Amino acid sequence: MGALQSPGCYGEYGMNPWIAIGALALVGVLIPVGMMSVSALLRPSVPEDSKRATYESGEVPTGGTRIRFNIQYYMVALLFTIFDIETVLIFPWTVIYGSALEGGVALGPVLVPMLVFITVLVAGLAWAWHNGAVKWAKSARSESQVQAKR
Amino acid sequence: MATEQMLPETLRTMIGLPDSVLGQAIAAFIAAFLVGNVMLAYTGVAGPWAKRKITAAFTDRIAVDRIGPFGLLIIVADAVRLLAKELIIPENADRPAYDLAPVVVAGSAMLGFAVIPMGGLGPLNIQLADPESGLVYVFAVASIATLGLTMAGYASSNKYSMLGALRAIAQNVAYEIPLVLTGASVVLFTQSLQMSEIVAVQQQTLVTVAGFSIPSWFAFVNPFAFALFMIANLAEVGRNPFDIPEAPTEIVAGYQTEYSSVYFVLIYLGEFLHIFLGGAIIATLFLGGAAGPGPESIGFLWFTAKIWGVFLFTQWARSAVPRVRIDQLIEIGWKGMLVLSFANLLLTALLVGVIA
Repeated sequence: MGALQSPGCYGEYGMNPWIAIGALALVGVLIPVGMMSVSALLRPSVPEDSKRATYESGEVPTGGTRIRFNIQYYMVALLFTIFDIETVLIFPWTVIYGSALEGGVALGPVLVPMLVFITVLVAGLAWAWHNGAVKWAKSARSESQVQAKR
Repeated sequence: MATEQMLPETLRTMIGLPDSVLGQAIAAFIAAFLVGNVMLAYTGVAGPWAKRKITAAFTDRIAVDRIGPFGLLIIVADAVRLLAKELIIPENADRPAYDLAPVVVAGSAMLGFAVIPMGGLGPLNIQLADPESGLVYVFAVASIATLGLTMAGYASSNKYSMLGALRAIAQNVAYEIPLVLTGASVVLFTQSLQMSEIVAVQQQTLVTVAGFSIPSWFAFVNPFAFALFMIANLAEVGRNPFDIPEAPTEIVAGYQTEYSSVYFVLIYLGEFLHIFLGGAIIATLFLGGAAGPGPESIGFLWFTAKIWGVFLFTQWARSAVPRVRIDQLIEIGWKGMLVLSFANLLLTALLVGVIA
């Protein structure tokens, strides 16, 4: 436990694990493509008027989908990027944390830097929270509805 | 480290293929084909049969019972029925993306099973690969599905699909970080990202109660992390209370509204594969992998029981828990789950620090 394998060596048994992962990726594409091929042989094609119209609950479709929409979630997407990178930075720490403690390092020097790091991030989250970035509806109409309920 | 032989290597020696890259690749392909089809079989049982039976039991109905014992042959009938349906492609569809989305959704869910240790079955140890970065890999490929759902929703050129895709992104983005952070808290115990090692660490005895030794499965060591992970997983696989990307009473079927025939089958299949992948991750991280009473050669049966247990939990939630609104979902994710998962990470670190 804890010891690292030397690069290019995959233990006593076995092969490079990425060969098998690549093989499963191939299978993961071949099975859907195989099913599509079988279906192509079985299924009928009966083109009819309006059959391919976009489904809008039976009404004649109006307008397109490629419209400009108010993407209120833009701020949250930015937040996600920050926190996602942060998880990448946390993972190496979690791996060495235990062995560093076993190796005789005191709890403070191992834990406090991460504590500071997470505090900075949580402070950022608190700021975004305060600004209303992690909120789905921000339109004036929905806000007034919320006010009316109160 | 890894003392068990991986499935491709076992098959290679059994068949007698040479120890070259080509021989390894052929053996790996056969092994991957077997594992892929086992998972496909599970989804085959889950989708057309088990899901209906479970929902029926919750709503006091009988559900499929006409074809075969317990209606089991509905699986065959539905497979033929769905594959033989006409494929209707909406006229404004964005073609390459519309056609690729089902492959991305189904394929990415399958890819995660590459590193899952599924336990022993007779002389075989069913695990395709065991890279040192196993846990990070499985989280990475599990999140590709969001890309597939986005492609499906955007390329359909349907307003319901677009809303469904936007909701799916919002949801997966909000619950991905709690999920991964809670997974990281497990790594604090294991000191390794390698899946076989994560399972091995959990086999140590935690406490002995009245002669029974309770293994240190992380669900027992840290029930709080387990609960957080189960909730975040429900959101990742889009089941109640977090099923707003599909929300049949609001936006028809979300991102899959315009999909028919085999394309619909593939997206549906991908969703169920994703539920089983979530179950496999939970089993590996929190429930001791394939561990259970009895010899190691029946480990695969325990693993199967555990992932079906998680499947049953998702279906139970689907039947029993009401759906949250989109704004509530975002609040629970960013203001509740994220803060709690940070707290869990630090508490776990303190716990490990005090024990060590």
